[in-house]
Parts: sequence; structure tokens; C-alpha cells
Amino acid sequence: MKKVFGLLSVLMILSILLSACGGSSAATDVKVLRVWVQWGDNPAQIQTLFDKYTAETGIKVEVTAPLADDKILPALTGSEPPDVLVLSGGDLAKSFYKEGLVDELSGAIKAGNIDMADFYTAPLTQCQQGDLILCLPWGTDAYALFWNKDMFEAAGLDPEVPPATMEELVEFADKLTVVGADGTIEQIGFIPNHSWSHTDLYVRNFGGFWYSDDGSTLTANSQPMIDALTWQQQFFTKYGVDNVQAFSSGFGEYGSPDAPFYAGKVAMMVEGEWQTGPNFIPALKPELNYGVTAFPPPADHPERAGTIVNQGTAVVIPSGAPNKDASAKLLAWMMSPAIVAEEFCFNANLPTSKKAAEDPCFKELGDKFQVFVDLMSSKNAFAVLTTPLSFELNDALGSAEEEILLTGADPKELLDAIQAEFEPKLKEAMK
Amino acid sequence: MTEPTTSQGRKIFKPPFGWKFPDKVVWTKRTKADFRTGMLFLSPWLIGFLAFTLYPMVVSFYYSFTIYHSRRAPEWVGLQNYKDLLTDEKFWIALNNTMYMVAIAVPLGLFASFLCAVLLNLKVRGQAFYRVVYFLPSIVPTVAGTILFLWLLNPQVGLVNTLLAQIGIDGPNWMADPNWSKPALILLGMWGMGGTIIIYLSGLQDVPQSLIEAAELDGANWLQRLWHITIPMVSPITLFNLITGMIGMFQYFAQAYVVGGGDSLGRPLNSTLFYSVYLYQNAFLFLKMGYASAMAWILFIIILIFTLLLLKVSDRFTYYAG
Repeated sequence: MKKVFGLLSVLMILSILLSACGGSSAATDVKVLRVWVQWGDNPAQIQTLFDKYTAETGIKVEVTAPLADDKILPALTGSEPPDVLVLSGGDLAKSFYKEGLVDELSGAIKAGNIDMADFYTAPLTQCQQGDLILCLPWGTDAYALFWNKDMFEAAGLDPEVPPATMEELVEFADKLTVVGADGTIEQIGFIPNHSWSHTDLYVRNFGGFWYSDDGSTLTANSQPMIDALTWQQQFFTKYGVDNVQAFSSGFGEYGSPDAPFYAGKVAMMVEGEWQTGPNFIPALKPELNYGVTAFPPPADHPERAGTIVNQGTAVVIPSGAPNKDASAKLLAWMMSPAIVAEEFCFNANLPTSKKAAEDPCFKELGDKFQVFVDLMSSKNAFAVLTTPLSFELNDALGSAEEEILLTGADPKELLDAIQAEFEPKLKEAMK
Repeated sequence: MTEPTTSQGRKIFKPPFGWKFPDKVVWTKRTKADFRTGMLFLSPWLIGFLAFTLYPMVVSFYYSFTIYHSRRAPEWVGLQNYKDLLTDEKFWIALNNTMYMVAIAVPLGLFASFLCAVLLNLKVRGQAFYRVVYFLPSIVPTVAGTILFLWLLNPQVGLVNTLLAQIGIDGPNWMADPNWSKPALILLGMWGMGGTIIIYLSGLQDVPQSLIEAAELDGANWLQRLWHITIPMVSPITLFNLITGMIGMFQYFAQAYVVGGGDSLGRPLNSTLFYSVYLYQNAFLFLKMGYASAMAWILFIIILIFTLLLLKVSDRFTYYAG
């Protein structure tokens, strides 16, 4: 009896261990594909979209969304990575490629006969590293200036005329800011880093970026970077950092009817195209009287009018995906204009396919959304450039920006330090 | 004092802290069978420990000397990760922030827990109710509790600043102010100290009534009884709470992660960049596993040193009855 008990116990332990260590064998006859999506406010909708692929091909597609940041790396290094991975941005794609976790996509593009000319240039840039294509953009975001027409009118400004230059924006912001007798802010014209950093947009308007155009050289302490941060700093020093902080901390939740722009607390904001879509302003504050326009350029650089910065979803094929042909076919299907139009009309995000942008469904999203679609073709449409170092560098730039805005620190000094620290790291990372 | 030696003059190892080795075991057939059965029952834990604790620890020690690559062999860089850490400004900021919490939050938490436990030990009407009330916050999930506190401490519409305004105090910007963000997190931690209170409460109930009564007969007042009898009698509990609290605080993560909201870890101005948060950033966001492993080992050594120091000095303030 004792021996039987002992044997059974050993077998049980072994079976647990073996099941834990077991991997799947590569399937030749693909019946199921797994798609993991890092973002995804509405997983059921994404699954419904991929069910169409099942209807067309008979291959079941299992969608997992949204995906926590720290689950991605173990998934890619594990024995069962997804067949297709949809990331929030191109920066991670480049880090993962450097680690050998995702494939270069030229082969998949050729196999899937994907029309590269159909992609808007800017969002595609975030996936390119020299001649390599490390991801494909699948929908994107762009940022523009939103202004509250009623607040403009109350401040004695023409409600139909937004600021035409960055300098004018500062003047308008002053007129739109109301400070109480005790010094507390009651209404503010503009907060440059509301609801997150927009230095990427401002620095483009000042004529540069923190990388050179080919993404190979760090230009963190370039004059446009210094100008972009100095320009933002004034909105804090003018009204007092503590006052702005205290005022901001009382803002209602993002994506709620109490959000500060909806509630008439902030008169102008830099925001994305989705705000004009059915899930945001039309649903949360339908009566809001507002306009949307491209963020204005500096007065002495009118040629920079229509500047936008794209940042959006990037699709990769994990290097450990068991059936690359099946992954490539699914990738091609995802990139087809009809699917891009369906997915991004539904979510009110910008299409990365030019043909998809002609779909009438985008027109149905309204004139304000169309402002963004038109800006996609602007000669000043850029992408947020990315490198394998993006996460670490962006974190350092974010800390510096915070210090500059909240403590009045000298931008040049902090940016010089970042340049000195990250220049050699970037050279190493780009090898 | 001479150290014990063998007849050949070699030093005999003396276990620290008064630990004793068990008497010599005689391996009879029965003992061996019992050992096997015992190990069999122990094996689920043992396998789990070996596979999911010991192995990762050993491997992370190796990785700490490498640049880790997910699908390629790690690159051996010797002590480079450790050297880089010493010159990494954010490493020192993270360590300072963590030491601040260890030095302030842990003693403050112990003091407040002990005080609450003493009050909850008083024989008053509704004693059980009060105990439940003080313990309840401990069962609130960390994430929910932190989000709740973010609202309570909201400078404009939060309850705390509203109450402070009632008495003429202009409340701080709490989480948005680098000077107040850590005190705000300490407040959050003290709200959830029910677990420590319960441990203290159990210790207080073990204080011999005879000693208290004897002191009462000798004319000792409440404060004297507390100082001379209760506090010494619960000192082993204090030591336990101190060590576990300190270890927990060195690994402080979840609350800071929630406050940072993922993308803004450490904000404002790196004031909530704690050691584990920076370690997480390096491992999972910057994909620098080797560097993060070096950080983990430095943390392990720091915790080990502090724990040994506390155990060493605990002889002076800990009283073990019997």
C-alpha cells in the first residue's frame, strides 16, 4: 500500500512538472491563431472583427486584449508567443527586435502582398529602422488644438478664430485665464502638458525633434528642444506652479463629463482625434461648443502650419510564432483597407491606409474628425520617432520636462545632461 | 572570553542568536521511513521553492553580471552593472526615497499600531466593534485603497483638505507636491495597519495579568505599567513587526505603481520613485534584466544587513519570557 501511495505521489508530481514545462508543437495545419492586443477598450469588438477572418478562412482567431505591459515580455520569451502582437507604439517593436523577439517584416509583407504605398508616410516611419521594417502601423493618433468657443466669447475673443501662432496662443491663454482675489486659479486658458506631455508636437513646431530625422542621432539638447520646453515653462511660472498644480488636481476624470475642457475649466487643449468621436465629446458633453484646428506654428515660421505628430498602434510578428505563413496572412488581412476602415471608424481613430481614409464612414464621424484626416496628408505630418532606447530615453525626457515645468529649472542644463548620458547608449543600441 | 575549540585546536562553529542544533538523530528503519513520508508531503512546497524561488535567485545572481538577452546567450560584463548602478543618479534617488519610508513609515506605523492595539485591548463597551472597524481597511485591496486615498487627498475636492480648510489650514497639494507625496503614502500605509494591530493585540493578551496586578498593588499607574511591563513583554512582537515591516517597506511597490499610473512612475519629480519601482522599470520597461538583477541583489544585501543588525541589537530591547 505504501509503495502504491509513493508511486502515485511521484507520478503526480512528475505529471505536474511535465505539464508545466510542456510546449506546443508547431502546427502545420493551422486551426487557431492567437492575436494579443496591448490596448483595447473594447475587447469584444476586436474579437468580432477577427471573427470575420474566421468566417473567410475557417481559421479561428483568439483575441486577448487589453494586455498588461509586463505580460508582453514573458509572452514573447515563452514557448507559446502569440501569432500576431498588436503593440501600442513602434518604440517597443524596436526594443523587441533588438532582443530578437520579433521578426523583420519584409518577408511577410512580400508574402502577404501588402501595398506599402498605401500607408501614410508618417505612421510608417515609426516602424522603420534604416531599411528594416519592424512593424506595420494599424491605425494612429494625431494631436491638434481644441478651443472652447463659449469661453472665447466670454473672454472677448472671436469664438470662430483660434490662435494663428504660438505667440497668439499665449496671448489668448492670458485672456482666458481667470485668477480669483486670493490668487487661486478659477479658469485657465491653456496647460501645455494637459493630459500628458505634448513636447513632441511643440518641438516639431519649433523645427526639430530629440532624434535626427533618420532616428540615428540623438538631438536632445538641440535648440528646438530647448525652445519647446522654455515655451511651455511660461504657463507655469506666470501663474505659479503651486496654483496651477492645485487647480489641475481638482480636474474631473479623463473621459468623464467632468473632464476640465468639457467642464469649462480649461479653454484650449491639445488632444487627439478620438475626442471628436462618438465615445467622447458627443457622448459625454454633446452641447459643448468647440472647434478643432492644427496646432499653430511660431509666428516667424508660417511654413510649419499644419504640423501634426502621429503615434499609434504597431503590429509585429513574434519571432517565436509557430506558423509564420499563417501570421503573415493574418497580418495582410489586418492591413487591408476595408478592415482598417472598419476597425478605426468604430474606434474613431485615424486610418493608416490612404484607401481606408476614403471610406465614407470617416466622413460620418463629422467635420471635426475630418480636420484630423486632412492633416494626415499635411506636408508637416511627422511621427514620434522611435529607437530601441525610446522607453528609457522618454522616461528621462519626461523627468526633465517635469523638473523644467515644475521647478523652473534651466532646460539647457538638463537636456545637456540627457544628451551626454544617452548619446553613447543610442550608438550602442543602434549597432 | 575564549572561543570553544576541538581537541585539535580548531574553532567550533557557534550558532548565532542562541540557536541550537538538534540532538544527533539516529537513523533507524522507522526514522528513515518517516523521513521519506515527511519529504513526500513536503515535496509540493519543496519543488515549488526550488523551481520558483531558489532557481530564479541563483540565475538572477548570474544575470546580474551580464547584459541579458531574451533569445540569445547573456553577455558577461563582470561587475559593470554594479559599477553603473553606483553612478546612476536615479538609483540613489530610489534608494533615498526607500530609506525615507523605512526610517519614517516603519517606526511611525509600529508606534501607531501599538497605540491602537493598547486602546483596542481596553475592556470597553463595543470592544469587538472597534476591533473590526480598525481591521477593516486591511482587507481593502491595495489598488482600491490607494485610489480611494488619491481622492481623499485631492487638493481641491478631497475630504482631507476640505476638513483642514474648516480649521483654517490651507492643505498641501499632497500627491502633486514632491514634498508631500511620501507623507501622503505614509498616511495611506497607516490606514491599512490592521494586520500589525492584530499581532500586537494577540501579544498584549499574553501579558501575564499577575504582573500587572502586582504592579498595581505596588502603586504603579497606567503609564508606568505600560512602560515597565507591557512594552517589555511585547518586545518580541515589536521585533517581529519591525523586521517584517522593514522588509515590506524596502520592497514598497504597489501603491507607488498605482499613484504613478504606469506611465508616470516616480512622479512628481521622482519623489515616489522607490527602489522596487525603479527595478521594475529597468526590468520590464527598459528591458535591462541584467541591470535589474544587480539591483535585486543589492536590495537583498541591504535587507540582509539591516535584518542582521536588528537581530543583533534586539538583545538589548527584547525580552523573551522564560
